[in-house]
Amino acid sequence: MTDLATPPEERDVPVESHHTDHDDHGAHHTSLGLSNMKLAMWLFLGSECLLFGALISTFLLSKTRFITELAAGNPNVIEGLLPADQAAALAEQGVRGGFSDLPVIFQEMASERSVEAIFDIPFTSFSSFVLLMSSLCMVLAHKATEDGDYKNQRIWLATTALLGSVFIGGQIYEFTAFSNEGLTFGGSLFGSAFYTLTGFHGVHVTGGIAMLATLLILSFRGKLNSDRAETVELVGLYWHFVDVVWVLIFTIVYLIP
Amino acid sequence: MTDTLDPNVSGSAAHAEAHGDHPTEKAYWQIFAVLATLTALEVLWSYLGFEGPALVLPLLVMMVVKFALVAGIFMHLKYDLSIINGKYFTILFSFGLVLAIAVYFVVIATFKFQI
Amino acid sequence: MAIIENEPLALPVGDGAMVTNPLGVFSRPREVTGLKNWLTTVDHKKIGIMYGAASMFFLLIGGMSALLIRIQLATPNSSFLSADAYNQIFTMHGTIMVFLVVMPLGAAFANYLLPLQVGARDVAFPRINAFSFWVFLAGGLMLNTSWFLGGGANGGWFNYAPNNGIIYSPSTGIDFWNVGLLIAGFGSLSGAVNLITTVLNMRAPGMSLMRMPVFVWMTLVTQFLLLFAIPVLTVAQILLLMDRNFGASFFAVDKGADPLLWQHLFWVFGHPEVYLMILPAFGIVSEVIPAFSRKPIFGYPFMVFSGIAIGFMGWGVWAHHMFASGLGPLSVSAFAVATMFIAVPTGVKILNWLATMWGGKITLNTAMLFSIGLVTQFTIGGISGVSHSVAPWDTQQTDTYYIVAHFHYVLFGGALFGFMSGLYFWWPKAFGYMLNEKHGKFNFWMMVIGFNLTFGPMHILGLQGMPRRMSTYDDAMGFNLWNFVATIGSFILAVGTLWVLVNALISRNQWKKAGRPNPGPDPWDARTLEWSIQSPTPEHNFDHVPEVTSLDDFWHQKYQEDENGRVRRVSAGADIAQPGNGKGVHLPAPSYWPLILAFSLPIMGYGIIFTLWLVIPGAILMMTALFGWAFEPADDLDIDDHHDDDQPELAGANA
Repeated sequence: MTDLATPPEERDVPVESHHTDHDDHGAHHTSLGLSNMKLAMWLFLGSECLLFGALISTFLLSKTRFITELAAGNPNVIEGLLPADQAAALAEQGVRGGFSDLPVIFQEMASERSVEAIFDIPFTSFSSFVLLMSSLCMVLAHKATEDGDYKNQRIWLATTALLGSVFIGGQIYEFTAFSNEGLTFGGSLFGSAFYTLTGFHGVHVTGGIAMLATLLILSFRGKLNSDRAETVELVGLYWHFVDVVWVLIFTIVYLIP
Repeated sequence: MTDTLDPNVSGSAAHAEAHGDHPTEKAYWQIFAVLATLTALEVLWSYLGFEGPALVLPLLVMMVVKFALVAGIFMHLKYDLSIINGKYFTILFSFGLVLAIAVYFVVIATFKFQI
Repeated sequence: MAIIENEPLALPVGDGAMVTNPLGVFSRPREVTGLKNWLTTVDHKKIGIMYGAASMFFLLIGGMSALLIRIQLATPNSSFLSADAYNQIFTMHGTIMVFLVVMPLGAAFANYLLPLQVGARDVAFPRINAFSFWVFLAGGLMLNTSWFLGGGANGGWFNYAPNNGIIYSPSTGIDFWNVGLLIAGFGSLSGAVNLITTVLNMRAPGMSLMRMPVFVWMTLVTQFLLLFAIPVLTVAQILLLMDRNFGASFFAVDKGADPLLWQHLFWVFGHPEVYLMILPAFGIVSEVIPAFSRKPIFGYPFMVFSGIAIGFMGWGVWAHHMFASGLGPLSVSAFAVATMFIAVPTGVKILNWLATMWGGKITLNTAMLFSIGLVTQFTIGGISGVSHSVAPWDTQQTDTYYIVAHFHYVLFGGALFGFMSGLYFWWPKAFGYMLNEKHGKFNFWMMVIGFNLTFGPMHILGLQGMPRRMSTYDDAMGFNLWNFVATIGSFILAVGTLWVLVNALISRNQWKKAGRPNPGPDPWDARTLEWSIQSPTPEHNFDHVPEVTSLDDFWHQKYQEDENGRVRRVSAGADIAQPGNGKGVHLPAPSYWPLILAFSLPIMGYGIIFTLWLVIPGAILMMTALFGWAFEPADDLDIDDHHDDDQPELAGANA
């Protein structure tokens, strides 16, 4: 593993060196060659992967468990959830005690029907597009910072934050619409898992917006010049990560039934 | 090694040299175009009425491509990994990743609801 | 707690120059001594000591609850504790010991030693380091306030669903367990990010990964385990929180949920957790045994790679905690085989320690005795552990005292003995005086005798079929004798464990009476970099950053081969040690914000449990602390543009 060895470096620098050559800070040496902040951000994101991994797994295990409170208690609900002929066939077999009395196979069929009816794929596609667009703006903000183009830096940072806010607005609208249509948080396992997963993602986006706002403040104070492009890059890392999580959620939760 | 204790001042010089090969602005736009197209394709595919693997597999492939594009290029992973230029590191990293994914799928596949 | 009494160093904290405060209010505290300094310090050594002190405090609580359990079980049909109180006490005992004693003790040693052993002046992010400690303490204290606010958690330390649901556990105990550990988890997570960055990025010139001391390696593996395990527990706890406090139905069987999900999530965290509790102790022992056998560690690469192997394999064995839950024959076989395999790297370690001692010139002082204690007792616990990989046997033993005996042999007889060894070994480095050897040996023998008297008989009780977590047993069951023996043992063990504190006081008094003699930088003639600087460690650690040319570099500076190939001493440690002159070394200034940020979280926690209104002041405080942190000025005009640390969540605001 010697390829990871710290290369022999300038040594025996006099103790007082700090005050004389602090220009040297810029090229501060780290053992891996990656700055501490960036390494830490990657580690943090690695940890976040497990967080979202566990949440997505929970969702996958729960996605066929769509049982509304209405359905669980109401004996007539079979007809609303299943095709009429199957509902009638079940009624002949004497199954009328509500959703939880249904054979599992019919429960799952009913779940799919209900969830597909509730999801609004075009709308969510638009949200996904907005978030992807914000990722583009984020890299452009970083690029502008590196080039010392502060006007564009602010424009792109602000656009990123704005697109993030649009996404959050869309999520709030979506949550409201879904719960009005009967997909409540506590009503079904599917609902609990769906809202927890997407809500967690939303909280992360909101945190990212706060970071972007902080960057904008720093920029207007003139503290975000090109030698601190890494700060923008770090927020960018976080922002892209949140975007990538949405790429997964969009496909796994919304598109794959 | 200077005698300072502010270890993580952003390494802009090291930074600049390590990032000299970052994509151009045009390349970022192109990547975005690919991402947007893939998203549109995904949505389109989900409406074409395929079922089972014919539906799921292409969706998953497109998802993985999008993931890789954002992580590799927007997040500069492609460039940063080359800084940590150790083959043992890469082997260990890949080994851990493959192991994690394998264990994950085994568990998801064997997990059964008891009812 | 003893405070390191350094000579005041010429630290340029303020350094006479007025520090400008860009935002006026966010100036940094300047104190270098006294209570305020301890509250605002970002010095990894002080934080390490505070971790140690806090876990000792929690050890007292956990130990007292253990004694209550043993009193209750000393005689059949005892009515010393009600069944409800018993449930709370054994749950809190397990929770406190795992999360608030063994884990932070590992963090204590990691914090104190990692920067010293890799040749750095501090961790990568000093303020985050302080935050990690305070948030652990905040979570731990919050968890313990449940004793007074409606009773402690009562579902066992792993709190299986659906028993942890609001229906079966209506008291707020489990909410405290949930929220308290959630908060403490942030500390583990930020600590892991910080320490991994430190080890990977801040090694002294020449210190390649394969020249790092074994302790650093084991801690690195531990922190990686924490980094990836904590979020899984966080998810489990979030789901439970949603269920209990916000009406979700993740574990509601009547809504089609499967409570087995909790077991999977918990043990995906829980088994790496087991290894991250023992690996720091393994690291300590791997430093102590070579020092007192006067030989280098046997098979250094094997030690390192077996540690890494444990780290990887620790992720593939969690379901052996769930053999009794009906996983199906395929899963059970797979996890049984994986569990058998993980015994191999652990066995490699045991063999390497033995081989290190073999033919060595062994000094049997207290630190070494505790290390040998670990090797012996961990082997016993390891053998009873690997026996559980035989699934039918495991099914037989599940939830009996045999399991209790097993994990106490690895966690108490293993981890805690290792930490004791570390205390005796590094005490002079941290505090500038040696611990008394006579009292130390008394400490050791009382602990060994008490420990084996307490937990040895539990093997028999378990095989006889005594279930764990039962508040009492009947006279005719045949459990009387060994339970009584175990209770006697537990009191001996309690005295033995307490004696380390007694010894610290006695030794300190003797040291003061003798005119505070300094043990010198290298009292044990040891091998790693921390012994090349003065005791107690100067605030700036290293006068100049050392240049490392080999494994055990400091040893090789002291001993070299002569022309006949014989190893000879060429210089004494005290002669080549750095003199401790920190002039011109810049240290990061203390900060209030880690403390404030950490204690804003329990306010929100109480809000979730009692009334959501409390969340608002908590959140306001948290936002204030975050922005205060982000806009806190650098402490030195020279580095005005370069903050010394940052916080992942708010990375953008700083740097």
